[in-house]
Amino acid sequence: MVTVPPPERLAPARRSLLVMPATAMRHARRSATSSPGRLFVIGVALVMLALVTGVVGALAVQEKQDAIDNLIEHREPVAAASQQIYRSLSDADATAASAFLSGGTPPAALRERYELDIAQAGANLAQAAADVAEVPEAQRQVDQLAQQLPVYTGLVETARAYNRQGFPAGAAYLREASGLMRAKLLPAAEELYSIDFRRLADEQAHARAFPWGSTALVLVLLAALVATQLYLTRRTNRLLNIGLVVASGSVVVGLVWGSVALVLESVRIADGHDTGTRQVELAVQARIVALTMRANETLTLVARGDGGVYEEDWKELAPKIGGDGEENLLVRARGLAADAETTAVLDAARQNAADWLALHGRVRELDDGGSYENAIALAVGDGPDGAAAVFTELDANLLRAINNGRTQFVEETTSARAALTGLVPGIAVLSLLAAVGVTMGIRERLREYR
Amino acid sequence: MRVSRTNRLAVLLTLVLAVPACAAPGRPVDLATVKSVERPRPVGARENPTPKSTEVKPVPACDATASLPPLDPMPTPGEMPAGSTMREIQDAGKLIAGVDQNTFLFGFRNPTTNALEGFDIDRVREIARAIFGDPNRVQFKVVTSLGRVPALENGDVHVVVRTFTATCDRWQDINFSAIYYVAGQRLLVDRASKVTRLDQLGGEKVCAAEGSTSIKTLLDHPADPVPVQVPNWTDCLVMLQQGQVAAVSTDDTILAGMVAQDPNVRMVGPRFTEEPYGIGIPKEDEDMVRFVNGVLEQSVAEGDWADSYDRWLGRTGERRPDPPPLRYRD
Repeated sequence: MVTVPPPERLAPARRSLLVMPATAMRHARRSATSSPGRLFVIGVALVMLALVTGVVGALAVQEKQDAIDNLIEHREPVAAASQQIYRSLSDADATAASAFLSGGTPPAALRERYELDIAQAGANLAQAAADVAEVPEAQRQVDQLAQQLPVYTGLVETARAYNRQGFPAGAAYLREASGLMRAKLLPAAEELYSIDFRRLADEQAHARAFPWGSTALVLVLLAALVATQLYLTRRTNRLLNIGLVVASGSVVVGLVWGSVALVLESVRIADGHDTGTRQVELAVQARIVALTMRANETLTLVARGDGGVYEEDWKELAPKIGGDGEENLLVRARGLAADAETTAVLDAARQNAADWLALHGRVRELDDGGSYENAIALAVGDGPDGAAAVFTELDANLLRAINNGRTQFVEETTSARAALTGLVPGIAVLSLLAAVGVTMGIRERLREYR
Repeated sequence: MRVSRTNRLAVLLTLVLAVPACAAPGRPVDLATVKSVERPRPVGARENPTPKSTEVKPVPACDATASLPPLDPMPTPGEMPAGSTMREIQDAGKLIAGVDQNTFLFGFRNPTTNALEGFDIDRVREIARAIFGDPNRVQFKVVTSLGRVPALENGDVHVVVRTFTATCDRWQDINFSAIYYVAGQRLLVDRASKVTRLDQLGGEKVCAAEGSTSIKTLLDHPADPVPVQVPNWTDCLVMLQQGQVAAVSTDDTILAGMVAQDPNVRMVGPRFTEEPYGIGIPKEDEDMVRFVNGVLEQSVAEGDWADSYDRWLGRTGERRPDPPPLRYRD
């Protein structure tokens, strides 16, 4: 664009490609000293500004759309996958301990549950691994998980073989496996999941940030158009130049449309974060707390009187899913619930948690009172009123809450994207319209000098 | 003119394309090479614990194997004398015993039945039978080697029957019954290992349980083996199987339980210590000590001791020794 000088001056410039820009500049400077020349330069500058603004604006909006697509297609699913890794691993640990406690050949249901947990953890790990290339910290966690998970399952199978032979070496291998799980696997999974949730939150913030740069450019363009109009009015005593009016109009339309669409988008992304992601995060934390407590409950029984540390750990975690305190994650998640269904699910989860805490008290009473067998039956037995059944229900309700939150996120974020529909071609067309308007308006004035 | 422009373009293009070709040749992306693996360890395993012997507290010489004389006559089961410790236990309805659930043949959880079994567990049931007339009125509390003395001092348990070596050091804090078994420290190694004595293990890792007399022996041994301490005896077997220690060293009875679980390990060398096992009882409960000694006398006299030995330790293939003589302080 810079290199389009008036036609009659083109000939000498052709001599050299390399000297052309310099020549053009010289011509431009010379012509700017005369009125028509100045007008010509103003016209070229305005056309350029209009086109650049159009390109920058369209790119900014396109980038927003890509960011939203990335949220829905990558960030959120990866965050969900990494919390699922934690959940599966922790459940595998608790299930292995329960199977050990039940004595003899472990019930088929527990075996299946353990197998599912391990398969689930592996599948979600593969999904999480596909996404950590540029985040070394996450890469380290994935490495750790991928290296230690096979070691863990190896130890559990060795324990199983010894248990079947009736040797206490089985219990020793199981303790080692559980130690590995708690010392290496679970911390890595927890770290991975917090990294992924942080990345999700960061990208949500990025997707809802208002594009101040592009907006400033639009305002500059509008100001330039108005200034040119004023300049022409002073020069020619004509009130309005139709071309410039059309140009200014299309810039105003673009500005209003863009601002409204972006504010709408931002609000919906924020809704998706608060009622979706944030709520999911709280439910996930509640689930992790519940799983840790369940593992502590079974390990206390496995330790058979030597499990004081596990019980202390349990007691420390209890207020996070029980009671009415500010600490209770379920209460906080309920405060963010978007619909009646999620509220109901979280209420049910609170009830489950309360029931389970009461049952745990009963289990401890039995065990401390010397009724070890009864304590085990209540804690891991398959009765409908046993701790195992209530815990399974709690976990299922938390999963429901997580899934509702995820749906809420996808709905809000998709509608955020819908707010931007047509904005990219719109901006392109409007900026072209502005450029054409400027060209027409300036040419009309230039003609008057002939 | 047209030609020259094309030429210039061609030159430019050649330059642009040639520049990257001059850069260093590409290298294949590094593979995720893993050079070393950190092995899983039993929870609480620790290498080279600070030697306890440095904080020497003078222990008065004593006859650790001599206990208080037994009650005579012994009270009838279910009719313990008023005001006695046994009466308190009878009224509470159950005997609380500190035991092990990880040491095969002595005190272990049978993974098939979930029940605790073993030579030590039989001793507990004999005491319960003598108090209640019912060997099952027992609440078992698992204690680690390290937790034995504190459990008695805190009054968490009435007795501790857990491969418990009577030492003068321990006599200062608790009481022991008469000696019901004498073990001795030996060495357990892989079947392929050429080691036969602790002297050959200088600088090598040797496993023993935290708070046991065995770990003290290792710490004080002149050959300077590297002691690795774990919370439970079977953790030592796991570490030996995983090649993380060169040997396990403790009482031959405990080692026999490991051999019974894994035919690829064997016991080598002579006994190099003597470990007299007694039943631990709180310092203040002297009537209980005398009562338990009476129970042990009956057990030996009526052949229960021998039956119990055959049932558990008989499977190690060694000839049953005579029960150790029950010795008392005047």
